[in-house]
Amino acid sequence: MHTLTIERLTKRYKKKTVVQDLSLEVHPGRVTGFLGPNGAGKSTTMKVLLGLASANEGRATIGGARYRDLSDPGRTVGAVLESNAFHPGRSARSHLLVLADGIGVPVARVDELMELVGLSDARDRNVGAYSLGMRQRLGLAGALLADPPVLVLDEPGNGLDPQGIRWLRDLLRARAKDGGTVFVSSHLMSEVEHLADEIVVIDRGRLVTAGAISDLERQGTLVRTPSPEQLGKIVEAAGGTVQVRPDGALTVRGLAIGEIGDHAHAAHIALHELSPQAGSLEDLFLEWTGGAAPVEAASPREEVPE
Amino acid sequence: MNRQRLLRAELRKLWTTRMPLSFLAVLIVISGINAIAVIYGHDADGTKGFIMTREDQRSLLAFAANTMMMAGLFGAIAVAREYGHHTVIPMFLATPRRSRAMLFQLTAIVLAGAIVGLVGEALTLTAGAISMPIAGQSILITASDVVRLLAAAAITGAAGAALGAGIGAIVRNTGGAVIGAVVILMIVPPIAVQMTNDAASWVPGTLANVLSGVSEEPSPAAAVAALVVWGLVPALAGVAVVRRRDVV
Repeated sequence: MHTLTIERLTKRYKKKTVVQDLSLEVHPGRVTGFLGPNGAGKSTTMKVLLGLASANEGRATIGGARYRDLSDPGRTVGAVLESNAFHPGRSARSHLLVLADGIGVPVARVDELMELVGLSDARDRNVGAYSLGMRQRLGLAGALLADPPVLVLDEPGNGLDPQGIRWLRDLLRARAKDGGTVFVSSHLMSEVEHLADEIVVIDRGRLVTAGAISDLERQGTLVRTPSPEQLGKIVEAAGGTVQVRPDGALTVRGLAIGEIGDHAHAAHIALHELSPQAGSLEDLFLEWTGGAAPVEAASPREEVPE
Repeated sequence: MNRQRLLRAELRKLWTTRMPLSFLAVLIVISGINAIAVIYGHDADGTKGFIMTREDQRSLLAFAANTMMMAGLFGAIAVAREYGHHTVIPMFLATPRRSRAMLFQLTAIVLAGAIVGLVGEALTLTAGAISMPIAGQSILITASDVVRLLAAAAITGAAGAALGAGIGAIVRNTGGAVIGAVVILMIVPPIAVQMTNDAASWVPGTLANVLSGVSEEPSPAAAVAALVVWGLVPALAGVAVVRRRDVV
């Protein structure tokens, strides 16, 4: 069982801080979504975790060890970090054979994986002729070659058609069900909503929130009152956050539903509605990240140093 | 076993693209030009004086100096394209200790460089063997000459590939790496010779000619040692840079 642990990670490229004091854990048996707008620091965090970039402060470990100190890293972690990490003039099968040689996997496994990801018919075609979706499938085949207990995937759903998304979802959930550790970044809220058990949200390199999706969605409380401004100030003074909805109602987070009622009662503010709110993950994401609109097409190279 | 599979992975990378075929095509063209020069070329006095003696023929058929450049380009392109296509990511994920990963990459490229040299020399010899009789000149070089020419081409090819690989790892951009290799192998040596005459004995062209038996200074052993330095210094610099640098 491998838990991924990021402890107080800070990463700077020259003077630009890309990840700042980030701590999180990714547990086995769960699919953990790693959310954030483009440029939030997701890819950099994953690269530090996998030893491709060095941390300025903090550490990142897999099952308690740095990636480079794992006894057999290539067989422990399967990763997709770039949707385009292929030589365009090499056939898909040759690409997987190179990876198989590198991590010590028999040739038969390559053909098995090509079948699994639905690329058997195109296996001898050069990757340069592949669509983005086919490249994603090939990348996933590479990550799954050694049947590793840990998967670290950066935007694996990019370019996949709806069937491909469903296939990916089923695949990752099956891996987690078998005890695997699955860490998947995405900027597509709808994708993560149906894929992950837990999410970690970062923005501008900092942790925004983390937890089980079901818990996070229930975090808000809907409040209708004839005195929204007065109650809003009281709630904020008590440590809660308030969002005014278009219909004038309030969404309050950070305080228990009973606490909100008590504060309103103490201030003699009438309440017309006080109920748990289940908002969509996309709404929550926009709120967590300061309203930054998610970009639909992710840049393949998310964080480029200055 | 581990080492074998890592080396196999690196060798497979090299032969599963069109690059080897492209280099083979260039080598064939160069040997063809050699053959045409032998058949149709002549000295100022109208004779075939440039292939009249064994020494002349050995000099004409010595491909080692060209090999250094060809293998240098091969090494530079082979490594720089790994960064351009991000294929270093799976490489460093499979072998996160980068000096180890680079060691196997360099080994494969040095072997490939030696092969570039051997193939280039073999094609040149073949072209000479075909063209000289056509030009009415018998072949005077001996079997030992052939062995020496092949060995010289293999050694300079290996050194050139190591040099190119080091430049490719440092520069990362394929075009930049090619320019870097050309600058180091074609522009720096004449400048160095202009600055000090002593440098003439230690530039790649001279060293290749010594190994081919065309020049006599410095000694063959010193020439091999100097070629090792020409290859090893950029290669080690590349390893040092790659060890410290983030993969972005």
